[in-house]
Formats: sequence, structure tokens, C-alpha cells
Amino acid sequence: MGTDRERRGLGDRLPLRRVEFHILLSLASGERHGYGIIQDIEARGETAVPDVGTMYRALARMAELGLIEGAARRPAADAADERRNYYRITDAGRRVARGEVKRLEALMRAARLGRLVTKGAK
Amino acid sequence: MSGERLLDLSERWFRLLERLYPPDFSDNMGTAVVETYRDRARDALRRGGVLRLAALWVRALVDSVRNGAGERARPAVRWRRSGNWGRDAELATRRLLRAPALVLAVVGTLGVGLGLFAVVYTVVHKVLIEPLPYKEPGNLYFVWRDYRAFFDLGRGWLAGTDVAELQKAGGVIEDAAGLLRQLTTFAAREGADATEISVIVTSPNLFDLLGVQPVLGRGFAKEEGGPKRPPVIVLTNELWQRIGADRAILGTTVRLNGEPYTVIGVLPPKFGFVRNASLGPPQRADAYTTLNINLAQTNPSAGSYAGLVRARRGTSPQAVAAAVDAVGRVVDARDFKSKGLKLYPAGVAQDLVAGVRPALVVLGFAGILLVLVLMVNLASVLMARAAQREHEFAVSRALGANGSAVVRATLFEGGLLGLAGGAAAALAAVWGTRALVALAPLDLPRREAVVVDWPIAAIVIGLGGLLGVLAAITPATWAARANLSSLLASSAVRGGGGGRGRLRRAMVVAQVTLSLVLLTTGGLVVRSFDRLLRADPGFTPDGLLTVRVPMPAQFIPKVEEAYALQQRIEQSLQAIAGVTAVGATSTLPLTAAASQNGVTIPGAPGITGNPDRDTPLVDVMGIRAGYVEVMGMRVIEGRAFEPVRRDGLREVVIDRNLARQFFPSSEAVGAKIPFGNDGKNVLTVVGVVDQARLYDVHQDGRPQVYLRAEDAAYRTLAFVVRSRRDPQSLVSDIRSVVRQVDPRLALADVRTMDEVVDNAVRRQRISAVLLSGFAVGALLLAAMGLFGIVSGSVTRRRHELALRLAVGADHGRLVRLVLGEGAALVIAGVLIGLPGIYIAGGLLRGVLVGVSPLDPLTLASVALGLGLVTMVACYLPARRVLRIDPAQSLRQE
Repeated sequence: MGTDRERRGLGDRLPLRRVEFHILLSLASGERHGYGIIQDIEARGETAVPDVGTMYRALARMAELGLIEGAARRPAADAADERRNYYRITDAGRRVARGEVKRLEALMRAARLGRLVTKGAK
Repeated sequence: MSGERLLDLSERWFRLLERLYPPDFSDNMGTAVVETYRDRARDALRRGGVLRLAALWVRALVDSVRNGAGERARPAVRWRRSGNWGRDAELATRRLLRAPALVLAVVGTLGVGLGLFAVVYTVVHKVLIEPLPYKEPGNLYFVWRDYRAFFDLGRGWLAGTDVAELQKAGGVIEDAAGLLRQLTTFAAREGADATEISVIVTSPNLFDLLGVQPVLGRGFAKEEGGPKRPPVIVLTNELWQRIGADRAILGTTVRLNGEPYTVIGVLPPKFGFVRNASLGPPQRADAYTTLNINLAQTNPSAGSYAGLVRARRGTSPQAVAAAVDAVGRVVDARDFKSKGLKLYPAGVAQDLVAGVRPALVVLGFAGILLVLVLMVNLASVLMARAAQREHEFAVSRALGANGSAVVRATLFEGGLLGLAGGAAAALAAVWGTRALVALAPLDLPRREAVVVDWPIAAIVIGLGGLLGVLAAITPATWAARANLSSLLASSAVRGGGGGRGRLRRAMVVAQVTLSLVLLTTGGLVVRSFDRLLRADPGFTPDGLLTVRVPMPAQFIPKVEEAYALQQRIEQSLQAIAGVTAVGATSTLPLTAAASQNGVTIPGAPGITGNPDRDTPLVDVMGIRAGYVEVMGMRVIEGRAFEPVRRDGLREVVIDRNLARQFFPSSEAVGAKIPFGNDGKNVLTVVGVVDQARLYDVHQDGRPQVYLRAEDAAYRTLAFVVRSRRDPQSLVSDIRSVVRQVDPRLALADVRTMDEVVDNAVRRQRISAVLLSGFAVGALLLAAMGLFGIVSGSVTRRRHELALRLAVGADHGRLVRLVLGEGAALVIAGVLIGLPGIYIAGGLLRGVLVGVSPLDPLTLASVALGLGLVTMVACYLPARRVLRIDPAQSLRQE
């Protein structure tokens, strides 16, 4: 009964919210702490970086849903070696992220067919 | 200021902001959020200095307010989404199944109580509230003649000319129809068994006026009315079903009083039209035909039509009244020399239910009170249950269950119990409504519509659930506060009970209050009903069987032939073994079916000179010799009719009221009454009788005049047979006797006189049965509540009572102490209930017969009964005090 609901839950989550996709993108390449994720987002050239509260609420919910999980608390190199909470992506999280990527690819294909983007453009 | 100092300040700011989040979020994420902000602050300071840091502070404030609020709002969302309800339901069901006695008790009480309420609700809703099954029924009005300028008749039939005038009126009156009602014999085929049916004879526009289309065939066309109209008939679905429900019936010929009519349509099953009557109950019909006359050419002084008008959409009742009044003035000027005849409209629905409204309103309010009683009762049952589970609550709270979980569980339990009770009630109501309709007066308006349908069942079940949840609120909030320390404290202080005890007491007081009001209402209605049953209707119904034998002019063209048949029927009936006497009348008592005439006795001492007062409107009936004796009516002057008629003498028997009006102090016998058109016939008074009441069992109606049936061309008579046999066993003998006299004759309305009387008091009987049921139920519930309180108090105060015994109090004194506690609650309830009695009395005024709403005897017996029952409810548990052995009790502690 539980798994059923979860599976349906994952399907229901697409499209992901912007902040959720960013989180999964960051964690896909390795464990991150909260500020690390924000820095990743800034590095991706996003103009409106999500607020800290927004991001942590997303983290809490995604952890509840089993898309990500907490990793060990350990010192962070970039924050004067203060200890930070790290997060890592789960298999379910990866599946959801891939689902979102597929969805975006489909949109891109459609955009190309509609000649909104020249071939190869990002 | 140094960077480090600024960062420390920032951190404090962020920690402050973090409090905007709900605790569970802060516990998990708070530190990480603050750390991340700190990282950002460090970056901001490095990249943009203080200004950038200040911007971050502001941004953090906005962020925290927004997300903090969002997160706080979230538990509700998560609660809905995560399926806790299912789990709660499962747990609550499991817990309830472990207490089958409680479930049975609650579902049983609710089932019966709410079931009763549902029955009343169904009747009130279907009769008073649900719109009539016509198009825009609010625009339909019956129109009546108000004769009060001439004599005491405020609601008279219209003349055909009035209807014609209404049809011509135009303006806000869209259309009008005139309706007659006839009882005729009906045969589906020539030679088939004839039965008597009721036919409404109408203007052809009736169905258009009502906005109803037949389900089979068509309604009347415009040209199918008036002189030389084709004989066409539209059947009700009920009649159609009765004769076989054959769809091929259209175009076939049926016979009314032997005459052929072509069936052109069958009405829908739910179509229930009645012709509201000038006096007496509305008349239903089995079939519809059209008038074969021109309404405009009828006799303007003969009122015999019900007038039905449809007002234009959006017309206010006042505008309709004004338009009808204008027509009335035309009629008054043309036909009544402007003596003051008025016409007035009455909304179809209001007109229909006017008679039963007061009784139904009382029942409705009583039903609401009953529901309140049930709710209080349920609340106290749930309280008691919560008290038993106090330990469980406290322990689970201590183990970390949060308050809302406990509240939710308790509310859920209440809701589930309520829903189950509501379902039981809906089932009970299905049968209850059937029983009620069977018991209900035959003239209960819209009787056929009174059925529990799905919407009503849903409302009852929902109401059950709502009651359950409402009743669970108090125990739930109380349970949420339960914790180990308060539990320990309360068990340490014996005899306490604190707020919860007060609450339960308040509930008992409320129950006593409500049941007092219900008991008084029930008591008054029962007493009024008792008055009715004991009332002397002016005749002796026991052992009388009545049967009507229609003799339509189509079968028996000559009225003399009808007289001869009546005579032969009477003789044959008399010859049946066991029959002691036979009589016959045109109008049975309590049927409100007489015709009215104005009469006067010129030269009598009571004449005042005021022509209106000297021409009272009287009920005129025809009877055969012997009727007065068979009915057991009282002759107070002169004699009744003798079997032998004297030539040249037209005899009349009048009632006491008419005699007193014209002969206040002398004998009326011998007086002459001019009668008939232009008073050519003169009637001679031969006797004065007490009324055989025509309308109500408990009071005289209009004055009465009894003619010899043979003098006044009455064809169809009701025969009254007194016998020593069981009346029912007579019926087949009567049937064969009448058939022997003439095989074409049918019997109609075979019933005992007791049934006639019974039908006249049915409305009051039902009110009495229902209300006393409500009252007894409420009293029992209140008694149960008291029992619980007193018994709980004895248990709780065991220690204290034992101590008192040990220091020398005797048992009797302690019993009185405990009883006193219960008595105080009862007295408080009664005091609060007194204004309620007064208010209920106001509502009851229109329903009671011969009893004042503040009847001292009833109030005293209610008080006595309430006192007795409640004291017994207190005494039973209080007796347990006697079993307390101080030595043993104190040792146990």
C-alpha cells in the first residue's frame, strides 16, 4: 500500500519545482551541504537564486519523500572547516531527476521542431 | 566594527528569524539554515561589505516570514495527504469493536432518537418545505369567496362566472381554471365491475396551468371544454396502474356513471394534485375530465367551483391579491348589488398545509430538542469513556503522542459512532415513516410524498456524524490536556473531579431542562388528545357500520326510483341477522360534507331585524326516518322523523343552536321555515336535536338542519347499520343484500363509525404518540445521565463517605447527602427549563384542544413525574452507600 502511494507520488512530482531540480542536479555530482548547493545554483547562472528557507524546506520534503538523504555531518573545507550537514541523492532521486531531464528534452525537441532554437543551441 | 563581530550579530539575527519556523522544522533543519545563512553572510561581507550584508538581513527576514508561515501551514496539508485519516479510522474502528456494549448502546440510542427525528423531519420537509410538483408552484393560487359581509363563511367556492371573470382579467393573472369534484362509478370496459372513483371536472387548461404533461398521450386541448365537448378523460398513474397499466389504453373507452369517455392521457406517477376545498380536507382525484358547460353562463349565486389561478412570473402575492380583489369588486357589483362579497387568493402550498402547519411546527421543534438531548447524552457517554481511558491518554502523551493525535482520535471515534447511529436512524426512519403515514390522517396533505429518500437519508447520516463530532469536542479537548502529572494529582486528591465533573453535571442539568420542556409539550398534547377522545360528538359510534351506495342519475334517471331503492335497501339491511337498526343520511358526521344554505324563521321571537344576523348559514343534510335513533342522537324537543310521511307536510329537524337563536326561551317545534328557491317550500320544525358534529369531535360547527331525504332529492345516501355482530363480518352480507336489490349498485366507503371518529382525531393522535415518545425518550436519557453522575460520585467519594461513617455519620444521612447532589441538578434543570415551558406553550396554543398551554394539572403531573423518575435514578446508585463498610474501605486505601 505504502509503496504504491510512493510510486504514484514520484510520477506526480514531475515537473519538479525549480529548486528541487537544482538540488538533485547538485547532489547528482556528489554530496553537498546547503550553501554548496546554493553556490552551485549561482554558478549555473540562475538569476533568481532560491532563498535559504525555501531551499531547506525543499530539502526537508525531498528527504521525507526519499529523494535525498542526509549524509554524515563533517567539516566543510570552504567554511573555515566548520562542520556542516551534507546531503546525498538516493536512487529514487536519480530516477526522478532523469524523468525531469527526459521531460525537458522532449520540450527542447518540440522547441526545435517549432524552430524556436537553432540546432545545437543550449 | 570588525567582520567577526558583524558575523556574530548576523548569526543572532538568523537565530531569531529561525524561530519563525515551526518547532519540528527547526529541530531538523534550524541549525543548518542558520549555518547556511552564516556562510552567505560571510560571502556577502567579503564581496560587498556592510551594505550587501544589510541587504541579506532584509532578505533573510522576508524569506523566514514567508517560509516560516508556509511551513507552519503545512502540517494540515500533510495530515490530509498522508492518509492519516485512513489509519485513524482503522484504529478508531478497532477500539470501538473492543467495546461492543458501548457501540450498541450509542448506536441504539441514536438510531431510535435520530430515527424519530428523521421521521418528523421527513414529514415536515415533504409536507411544508419541498415545493409542490408543479411548474413554479409559488405562482399558483386558489381563489375563494369571502361571504362574511352576509354570513359566517370566509372561504366559499367560486361561481362559474367568477372563474370566467378571472380568466378574462389578464394583467398579473396569467390564466385561471375552475374545478369541480365528482364521485362517479368507473368501469374500465362496458360490463366490467364498477368501482367508485373521484373525478375532477375542470377547465381544459388545468394541466398547462400546473405545467404538467401526461407521460402517456396528451392533456386536454383548448377546444375540449364547454358545451358539446368530446367526452375525453385523463387518468392518474395510480388509476392506470390499478386497471392493469396497459400502454394501449390510449384511445380506448371507459365508462363514468355508464357514459363512455375516451382515454387521451395518463399522468406521471409523481403528479399529486388535490382540489383544495372550501370546508374540510383537500380532495384528491383518480381521473380528470372537462366541464361541459360555459362557465360564463352559470348561476352566479351558486358557489361550487374551486378557482385556481397562475400569476405571471415575478408577481408579488400582494399584487395577485390586488388583482383578484379587483375581479371580486366586479363580481360584487354585478351579482351581489355591491353588498360586500370579496374574492381573495391563497397560495396553493400555504392553503394546502394551513391546517397541519401548527402541529408540524410543534413536532419540528420537539424534534430539534430531541436531537439536542441526544447530543448531550452522547457527549456524556463519550466523556465517561474518555474518563476510563484517562490513563491511556496520559501514558501515550508521556510517551510522546502529541495532543492533536489524541484529539483527532477522540473526534474520530465520536464521528464514527455518530455516523453508525445516523445510518441506523435512516433505516429506522424508512420504516417509521411508513408506519406514520399509515397512522396519519387520510387528509394529511401530500401524504403520498412522505417517503425517506436518498437526500434525507444522507442528511440524517450526516447529522449523526456531526452530532458525534460535536459531542466529542468536549471530551477531546479534555483528553488532550490529560497528562501524567495531572492524573497523579487527581488520583491523589480524592473526591475531586474538577472541571470534568462540573462539565458532566452541566450536561445533566441541560438534559433535565430539555426533557422538562419535551415532557410538558408531550403532556399537554396527550391531555388535549384525551379531551378529544372523551369529547361527546353527539352520537354513539360503537357498533355502527356505514356504507355509501351511489345512485347516479345515469343509472337511475328518476329520483322516485332512487327513493324506492333506498327503501328496499333499508328493509333488506334490517332483515340481516343480528342487525338491530338501520338509518340513512346524505352526510355522515365528522365528514364536513354537507351543503350550506342561509335560513331564517320569520316571526320567531329571536328575530333581531338585522337581516344578516337573522339569516344564519346552516349545514343542510337529508336523513331517512330512523337515522336519529340509530345514531343515538339526543332529541331535546319534539320528535325525530316517523317512518310514515304525511302528505302536504314537509318536516324538518333542527339542532339546538338554531333553535336557541330563534327561540331563546320557547319551544321551536311547530315553527315554519321557508326553504328552497324563493322560499316556496315551507318546512315545519318537528323536533330539536343536539348536533351530531360534522367537523370537530369537540365542538359544534355551524347550525344544522335535517331534511327528510325523500323531500330533498338526495339520491346517494350513506346507510348506517347498528348490529350486535362484529361490524366487519357484516360487510359481505351487506354486499350481497345490496346486489340482490339491484346488481348495478356499488358499495363505497365501507367503514365503521369508530373509524370515522378515529380518522377525525388522527392528527392529534399522531402528535400525541410522537411527542410522548420524544418526551419519554428524553426523560430516560436524562435519568441515565443522572444515574451515571450519582453512581460516579459514590465511587469517587467512597473514601470520604467511609471516613464520615467512621466518625459517626449514619448511612441514611449519607444517602441523603448523595441524593441531595442529584436533586440539586434536577432543580437547577427545572428552573432553567421554566422559561422554555412558557415558550413551548406559545407554540402549542394552536394545537391544543380544551387545554391551556399552562394547564396546572399537566404541569404538576409533569413535575411530579420528572421528580419521581429522576429521584429513582439517583436513589438506585445512592443505595450503594449502604454497602460501604468503613473499616474495610479505609483499610483498602
